[in-house]
Amino acid sequence: MSNPDDIEAAVHKIICEILGKTPDELGRQEPLAAHGWDSLASLEGLAVLESELGVTLDLRAFHAAHTVRHMAELVASELSANTR
Amino acid sequence: MNPLLDTLRAAALAGRAPDVATRRALLELDDAATARQAGRRLAAAPADSLRDLRDLRVAIVATCTIGSFEPLLWTGLVGAGFRPVVGKSDYGAFDMTLAAADFPGDGDPDLVATLLDAAYFLPREWSPAAFEEFGDAVQARLRQLTGLVTACVERTSATLVLHTVPLPAEVRDTFLSLADRARVSALWHRLNAELLDLAATHPQIVTVDLAGALADLPAAARDARLHRYGDLPYTDDALHLLATLVRRVAQAKQGLSRKVLALDLDNTLWGGVLGEVDAHGVQLGGLYPGNAYKELQRTAHRLRDQGVILVLASKNDPEPVEKALSDHPEMVLRNEAFSVRAVNWAPKAGNLRKAAGSLGLSTDSFVFMDDSDFERGHVAAELPEVAVVSAAGDPAYLVDSLLRHGWFDVMTLTETDRKRPELYRTRAMRSDFSESFGSSEEFLQALELKVEIAPVTDFTIARVAQLAARTNQFNLTGVRFDQAATARMKDSPDHTVVSVSVADRFGDEGIVGALWVEHADGVWQVLNMVLSCRVLGRGVELAAAAWLLQRAREAGARLVEGRFTPSQKNGVAADFWSRAGFTGDGAVFTADPAAAADVMPTWITIRERSAS
Repeated sequence: MSNPDDIEAAVHKIICEILGKTPDELGRQEPLAAHGWDSLASLEGLAVLESELGVTLDLRAFHAAHTVRHMAELVASELSANTR
Repeated sequence: MNPLLDTLRAAALAGRAPDVATRRALLELDDAATARQAGRRLAAAPADSLRDLRDLRVAIVATCTIGSFEPLLWTGLVGAGFRPVVGKSDYGAFDMTLAAADFPGDGDPDLVATLLDAAYFLPREWSPAAFEEFGDAVQARLRQLTGLVTACVERTSATLVLHTVPLPAEVRDTFLSLADRARVSALWHRLNAELLDLAATHPQIVTVDLAGALADLPAAARDARLHRYGDLPYTDDALHLLATLVRRVAQAKQGLSRKVLALDLDNTLWGGVLGEVDAHGVQLGGLYPGNAYKELQRTAHRLRDQGVILVLASKNDPEPVEKALSDHPEMVLRNEAFSVRAVNWAPKAGNLRKAAGSLGLSTDSFVFMDDSDFERGHVAAELPEVAVVSAAGDPAYLVDSLLRHGWFDVMTLTETDRKRPELYRTRAMRSDFSESFGSSEEFLQALELKVEIAPVTDFTIARVAQLAARTNQFNLTGVRFDQAATARMKDSPDHTVVSVSVADRFGDEGIVGALWVEHADGVWQVLNMVLSCRVLGRGVELAAAAWLLQRAREAGARLVEGRFTPSQKNGVAADFWSRAGFTGDGAVFTADPAAAADVMPTWITIRERSAS
């Protein structure tokens, strides 16, 4: 998976799953905090994103990402760093 | 998306519990991520959809962040057939919760699952230069936990599950001298040994060996980022392992242990096909792969020594099999190791059903192991309640495949467990014997049944509690008094708890039943009575009723009161009170002990033993 749109869709799906929302309920640019994204959810998010997408994320950068889109960008840059 | 998750979603939408096959898949999940998602989904499903499963109240008490432990526990428990009702203690409330024995959730839980991490035992500030001080601090913390836990079990009837804790490498490696590093490891092993020893001194405490089990975990047990950021000392893989260990405790405690192991022969108990290569040509013993098959035989034999009944289920001609079992020099499981041998060309599901019939057990206590995908698929389809174990693939994994899911785990082994395979062999003989009599009464007279009723003692209490947990058919009220509750009644002047043992001319069945009775104001109330289905149809239950009425009469009681609470499985006991001469409305039955008729069957001799 290298296409940014695919990555974003995958991240979106994972985050929705953790928050118990449908993809329609959570916009990709909406702040996650408004949807109950707390520290526990973020820990789970980190674990799932890493295991399902095969990346290791920097925890500080991950916490700085407040939307699905930001997270997807982070994942994409890790993925491309791995393949370079 | 894992198809298992779709199946769970469909079941939740339809308002029903996941079916047996889906539950088996949940229980056997290796992947922690899927297990966590499944658990989350199960916990979110309407509680009512799981109503057919057995309720289990669980409290989680943790010294750190609970993280995914809760959903992972859900997956395992639903997989084992429970409807979990889970309460979680607040972050940081570990000591307080144990000290007050006031657990989250409604009422006293059945199970308290603890989640412990190394930081609990480590002083906040420590120096490797002051080893004694470090050791004293760890010891002091352990003493505190031991004190909390032993005081706690006095105030709850829950089973408390503790676990051993791995020593983090960052602690070990801070000690630079190899001598001190060895000392710190030794100190930590002693800590874990003391946690394990707690289980030996308190029947309500069970300690599972997480630190030991982690050695076989292919994934990392720790993620430093999650630990530093979220006080989450274990990865999901490690928590999944712990949840599995806790699930196995719940299974054993609630009496869901399997009793029978049905084994295929060709390419399961030995390598090769007997019909093609003859007895001398099968792979058994010696070098790989023969040693793998021999080790499986040894393991099955070790299970048999602990009460697991072995059944042979093989498509073969019986004579060569019998000869191979008796003559092959490397054979561990000889003919007599099997309580039932079903060696023929009939479909295996039917053979298992017949074997269950002749053992007087239900197929839901069976585990079936076979290398053939077809045979496993056929049994799984015909008898979904049977636990199916694959012997396909590399034979090196055979023992692991058989043991890893803990199908046969029990809380404690009783004398009856150890004697069970022998008991069931005589039982098979008994059913042959029964065919030579004209009437069942004639048969029962010839059996020379002896029933012994005795107050429960320290020696018999484990077996009585086990019967309470395991008995589903002849279980009058479904109230499962465990060892702790039974012990309290044993020592209470207002209660009587007795065990019922049966022997006949073929052998001693041991303790097969129990009664829990409360006395108040001249009324003897039977809180519950259970009787193993192994002895049903012989009038043992009537002998127990006759005994009870007589004792009540001697004690001057004015009324004996019994109850019947219907469940899905106890229909066999519905007319018990009426047959025993009690009158009632279907739920509550009474008899006046002074006026009651004697219902003691003529073919039974009763023996009484007073408390010793």
